[in-house]
Amino acid sequence: MNRVVEGFTDRLRLGIHVCRGNWSKREDVLITGDYQPLVPAFARMNLHQYVLEYATPRAGELAVAGRALGDREIGLGCVNPRTDEAELPESIVDRAREALQFWPAERIFLNPDCGFACFANRGVNVEAIAAAKLRSMAEAARRLRQHV
Amino acid sequence: MKNLCTDHPPFAVTQVGSWPRSEELLAALRERRLGRMSEEAFQKFADGEVERCIRIQEDAGVDIMVDGEIRRDNFYSFITDKVEGTRLMSLAEMLDTVEDKSAFEEMLQTLDAPAFAIRNPTCIGKLNRREPLAVRELEYVRTLTDKPVKVSLPGPYLLTRAMWVTAHTRDAYGDKPVMAEDVIRILREELEDLAEAGADFVQFDEPVLTEVVHSGDSKRRTFM
Repeated sequence: MNRVVEGFTDRLRLGIHVCRGNWSKREDVLITGDYQPLVPAFARMNLHQYVLEYATPRAGELAVAGRALGDREIGLGCVNPRTDEAELPESIVDRAREALQFWPAERIFLNPDCGFACFANRGVNVEAIAAAKLRSMAEAARRLRQHV
Repeated sequence: MKNLCTDHPPFAVTQVGSWPRSEELLAALRERRLGRMSEEAFQKFADGEVERCIRIQEDAGVDIMVDGEIRRDNFYSFITDKVEGTRLMSLAEMLDTVEDKSAFEEMLQTLDAPAFAIRNPTCIGKLNRREPLAVRELEYVRTLTDKPVKVSLPGPYLLTRAMWVTAHTRDAYGDKPVMAEDVIRILREELEDLAEAGADFVQFDEPVLTEVVHSGDSKRRTFM
C-alpha cells in the first residue's frame, strides 16, 4: 500500500476501507472478528483515513482502532447497509460520542459500514431505505455539531 | 501530509461507495456486457442515474459525495472495462480453472455467494490501463455538485489476490509478485490522474484483509 501512495499523501486525502463482506444479508455467513490483527499493518500504512465497520457487533470494540489510530481520521461505520430499517439518529450520535474519546470531531467522518450494492446485481438494499439511512446520519451530524 | 482539516465540517457525512442500481440500469449493464448496447448509449443512460444519486445525497445532507459506482459491475471487476490483459469472468466460469475446484464450490455454497452474479477481473495478459479507472466518474460528478467528492478504487491486495488465477495468468506473469508490480504501477498512474483531475478523497477498498486474518486459511481462494 505504501508503495502505491508514496508521493501522493500531500495531494490527496487517502483512505482504506476494510469490511467483513457485504454480499449477503445473512449476518451468519459474513466474517466475525475485530480489527486487532490488522491494527499493526494499518498503523504502518501512510494513509489519512480508516473507513471501518462499527455498526455491527461482528466488528468488535471501537477502542481497538481508537487506541492505535487516534492520530488519523476514522470513517466511522454507523449504519448497517443491509438492514431494512434506518437507524435512529440517537444511536448514531451515541456511537460518534464514543468515537470522541479517541478522535477530535473534525477527524470523525460518518458513513455506512459498506456500500449499498457493491455487486450491481446483488445489492443489499433499496434506494428508499438507503436514502433514509443517509438522512439519519446527516441528522445525527447536525445534532453533534450543535454540541461540539 | 495534505492539510485535511479545512475542507469539511466536523462529523462529515459520506458513503463507502456503491448505491442500489435501478432495474433499468441493471438491464443496461447487461445489454452492454452482451454487446447489445453501445458504450455511448450506456454512459448517457448511466449519467442520468448518477445525477439522481447525487440529488438524493444532496437532499439527505451528505457532505462528501460519491457517484454510487453506478457504472460498475462490481467494485473491482469494473477494471476489466479499463485495463488491458483482463477478462470479466463469472465465478461459475472460474470453477473449471481454479486451483481447488471442490473447495471453491463448497466456499460459494457455505457463504451464500451467487456464482453467476459475482464476476471477477481475471488477469489473462500484460496489464496496462486503456483509460483511467475512475477519472470519468469524478469529472461527471464535478459537473453536478460543488461538494467534495470521494472516489473508491479497489486496493492493491484485493486486485492482486483476485486477478491472479494461475491457469489464466501464469503465461503472462509467471508468479503473483511479478503481476503485483503492475497492479501497483496501474494504481499509481490512477492516483496521478485523479490528483490532477482535482479529486478530494481516494478510498482503497480492501475487504480481503479481514478475510486473510479471520478465515483461518489465508491462501484459500475466495471471491473477494
